[in-house]
Amino acid sequence: MLLLPRFDYEEPKDLSEACRILAGLKGNGKVIAGGTDLLVNMKKGLISPTCLVGISKIPGLSEIEPQNGSIFIGSNLIVAKLTEFEVIKKKYPMLYEAASVLGSPLIRNRATIGGNIVTARPAADLPPPLIAMGARVRLKNRRGEREVELDRFFKGPGETIIKKDEILTGIILDEPPIFSGGNYIKLGHRKALEIAIVAVASFIVLDKPDGIIMDAKVILSSVAPKAIHAVSAEKTLIGEKPTDKLIERAANLASQDCSPIDDIRGSAQYRCAMVEVLTKRTLTAALKQAKKSR
Amino acid sequence: MNDFSVINKRLPRVDAWSKVTGEARYAADLSMPNMLYAVLLQSPLAHAKILNIDTSAAKKVVGVKDVVTYKEAGTIHYGVSPARYDETMFCYDKVRYVGDEIAAVAAVDFETAMEAVSLIKVDYEELPVYLNIFDAMKEGAVPIHDDYPNNIGAEVHQEFGNVEEALKECDYVRTDKFVNKKQDGGFLEPQACLAHFDMNGNLTLYTSTQTPHYVQRTVSMVLNIPIGKVKVVKPYVGGGFGPKASANTIELAASLLSMRTGRPVKMVMSREQVFMHSRGRHQFYHELTTGVKKDGTIYALKNTCYLDGGAYSSFGIATVYYAGSLLGAPYRLPNMRYDGYRVYTNKPACGAQRGHGGVAARAAWEQQLDIIAEELGIDPIEFRLKNVREKGEVTCNDFNLSSFGMKECLEAIRDRSDWRNKKGKLPKGKGIGVACGFFVSGAGYPIYRSETFHSTAMIKLSEDGGTVELYTAAAEIGQGSDTVLTMIAAEALGVRYEDVKIYSGDTDYGVDLGAYSSRQTLMSGHAVKQAAEDVKKQVLEVLSKRLNVPVEDMDIKDGYIVFKKGQVDFSGIRSYYVKEHRGWAEQPGDDKLTFKEAARIAYIEKGTIVSAGAYKPGELGGKYKGATVGTSPAYGCSAQIVEVTVDMETGKVTVDKMTDAHDCGFAINRTNVEGQMQGSLSMGLGEALFEEVKFDEKGRVANPTFGEYRIPTALDMPNVNTIIIESNEPNGPFGAKEVGEGAIMPTIPAILNAIYDAVGVRIDELPVTSERIYNAIKEKERKK
Repeated sequence: MLLLPRFDYEEPKDLSEACRILAGLKGNGKVIAGGTDLLVNMKKGLISPTCLVGISKIPGLSEIEPQNGSIFIGSNLIVAKLTEFEVIKKKYPMLYEAASVLGSPLIRNRATIGGNIVTARPAADLPPPLIAMGARVRLKNRRGEREVELDRFFKGPGETIIKKDEILTGIILDEPPIFSGGNYIKLGHRKALEIAIVAVASFIVLDKPDGIIMDAKVILSSVAPKAIHAVSAEKTLIGEKPTDKLIERAANLASQDCSPIDDIRGSAQYRCAMVEVLTKRTLTAALKQAKKSR
Repeated sequence: MNDFSVINKRLPRVDAWSKVTGEARYAADLSMPNMLYAVLLQSPLAHAKILNIDTSAAKKVVGVKDVVTYKEAGTIHYGVSPARYDETMFCYDKVRYVGDEIAAVAAVDFETAMEAVSLIKVDYEELPVYLNIFDAMKEGAVPIHDDYPNNIGAEVHQEFGNVEEALKECDYVRTDKFVNKKQDGGFLEPQACLAHFDMNGNLTLYTSTQTPHYVQRTVSMVLNIPIGKVKVVKPYVGGGFGPKASANTIELAASLLSMRTGRPVKMVMSREQVFMHSRGRHQFYHELTTGVKKDGTIYALKNTCYLDGGAYSSFGIATVYYAGSLLGAPYRLPNMRYDGYRVYTNKPACGAQRGHGGVAARAAWEQQLDIIAEELGIDPIEFRLKNVREKGEVTCNDFNLSSFGMKECLEAIRDRSDWRNKKGKLPKGKGIGVACGFFVSGAGYPIYRSETFHSTAMIKLSEDGGTVELYTAAAEIGQGSDTVLTMIAAEALGVRYEDVKIYSGDTDYGVDLGAYSSRQTLMSGHAVKQAAEDVKKQVLEVLSKRLNVPVEDMDIKDGYIVFKKGQVDFSGIRSYYVKEHRGWAEQPGDDKLTFKEAARIAYIEKGTIVSAGAYKPGELGGKYKGATVGTSPAYGCSAQIVEVTVDMETGKVTVDKMTDAHDCGFAINRTNVEGQMQGSLSMGLGEALFEEVKFDEKGRVANPTFGEYRIPTALDMPNVNTIIIESNEPNGPFGAKEVGEGAIMPTIPAILNAIYDAVGVRIDELPVTSERIYNAIKEKERKK
């Protein structure tokens, strides 16, 4: 049986106390927000913080808050809750889709959006759509606060730019542009409790319903140490009028934009092939949505 | 409709309330005052000589009470089949797989035991590691067990009829290969036990097992304690599926440690340890050659199979036989040859798992039969119907099909699934497939050679007369035997379901070989029925004397005495009973004599009313070598239709619908029968599409979690249309026979056949992952 190592637990009542505690721990502390990954890794002995800092008592971190056109999603918001907000379902449907397929109901009831980001798993469900939609994360420590594009947050498996005394307090998503649409598809073995073999999030912005593509994001997951852009696919799409042919070309380029590995979930070859299929499907769905959105 | 009062109904399980409320206690929930916790030291290497074991540092840890290795445990060999006792409690000369047990530490708490065990130092000399049968069988390979130089631990050669000659007479012959993967039992409750050796020298072992009786015998033998001093108690068990059907190391180690320390000792396996202990499904490499006549008559089968057995034999001797013998039916097959080889490798030992030995063989053959039917231009259901055996027939390997609703199963699924309007008419990407299944209803012989009864039962009436106490050593492991046996007792005795209290799973209650080979309903059911009928007779005999009514003119039903020839004046008994029980609850008030009153009178007359029943199978067929594996008092059969959607671009399969018919002889509890069918289908679906225990290059299990070892979730299971076929088995209690394992048989091939129907590719390797289908589709496109 795996046992949790000994550790202290703090539950600060506000952010400044949390920052103070974390700073005082000098790198030996870890924020716990759900803990579905953290506690397992502690049991396995992969990490051994001396103190966990729970953020569930901090006001505002478990909520969604509109902020002049944008929304702020508190990092401690559980994934199950994320799917309950009308605003997420309506304005950020690809985030809703990703949240709906994360783990199982048990995991969704405990895991948080902040945890899913900070833990930086290459197959995490929420980062791809968030990156595609240009999300920013808010990081706070005792000395201040900064906002970073999520796209620049990840370094590799389990590694991010977050400093040891920083807390990810929330995620900021801007109002999606008019005539934009996004889609997320995760290919797994089972229908639930699944880590993606491959997942793709696509987001496109048109200048008008039957216009050209102003902006395109194609984010590939589970094919690299972190979620990556299908760079040449995005380049191909931007400035063009969307057609089936264009999408197929972009999908094909996307499969060349990644170099996945063989592992117990699937071979590199299959993953590349699936990147093409999922890119095509997500772009098609994103386009359909963009044409309708206003 | 029949006139049964209790059986053949949909009654709630006797353990439903305690399970849904959490009141049910499983082995890991148990504790005792002064209890120690023990953990195992297991080998990190897959194959190595043990040069030295140093436990001195572990012994010095404060809180450690005992450390044991083979030096303390001895090296008495045990296993499942006496012909292959190839295990010892702890390794002494070498380790044979990653996880092989070397030592155990008992300490005041779990943390201390874990710390101490990490301090045991073992020096190894590494040996070549064989992770597949081909390497293990190579010329010059180091024997994993000295007695088997080529690492073939068991082989079987059987021939019925003359296959070579018969194949010459066939119009169409084809050969196909098939391979499955090592599957884990996937039960939710990891093994756990609590051993208590008391001051009087009695050992009580509470353990999560399917077979208290076999565990009792093994513990007694390995620890050298008289069998009468060993009591094995099975608390609630969260599934077994085969891997829990024999003694394991924690049961032996906890018992040894309790004997040495005089304190209760608890051990619990982690999920990773469950994967390492394994004893689940073997990997089978089948090569099948089938010959048929042009009219579709199946005429000959040549079956060669290599089994990857892992490091020890476990149930493997039976498995290697079943992988041949279970293809003897359900079809009229006059010529069958089987050559089976079970090969040792440096992986966790494989054993029995639901559908023991026959699942891969069945999948392989039913897929091949589907190909043959297509080649002959015959509808696969018609093809099967043409060949299925019927009641009263005897197979080429001497299985007596005393009841056999195979035809009825096939017709039922054909009609209920709307097969005729779907087969060959579905759009591309959608498919429908069919397959049949066949299984024993209880092993005809115990795993050790003996004349023992297979099941005994006792019934005692409570002295107040109100309650029927049923004692059986049968193992309720979630499959529902407590419910079924309670229903059988109530029906046979004539009381209400709620009047029977069952005590089960304790070796003090009698002999019962346990929950494996789909035997509890038929075998324990017989013993219980017999005991109940005897109690009934005893009560009626006393009543007969009192009332002066012949026994044959009375009966007991629904808790009342029935007077067949008109009302009888029982006022004497009534007033006597009421006088004795003034002030008690539930006084008999109506105008019918209650069983309660009758049973009380019987007690007053004779003292405590007890009875016993015992069952063993009668004469079974087969005089050839190996006939003891496969012969059974009865055989279950099943048929299934599966409908799938295959995503042509990703290869992903969605099982949309399953229509399943199973001949269980007679359904004691209809809901339970359907539950077993649903569970079997889910397990088959998992094995077909997802499940595979994977290993890294050092022989470590690469996916020892339920995150990466995928059993189907509720969302992966389609709606299942379950159809119960009742063929009234003459050798079963009330006509009942198995459903627990046979139901899994058709699932995998029906899925494979449906996939073929959908996308035109045949997959001969499990699991059928999206990737495997994708590759097959691409391969087919390339060949075009």
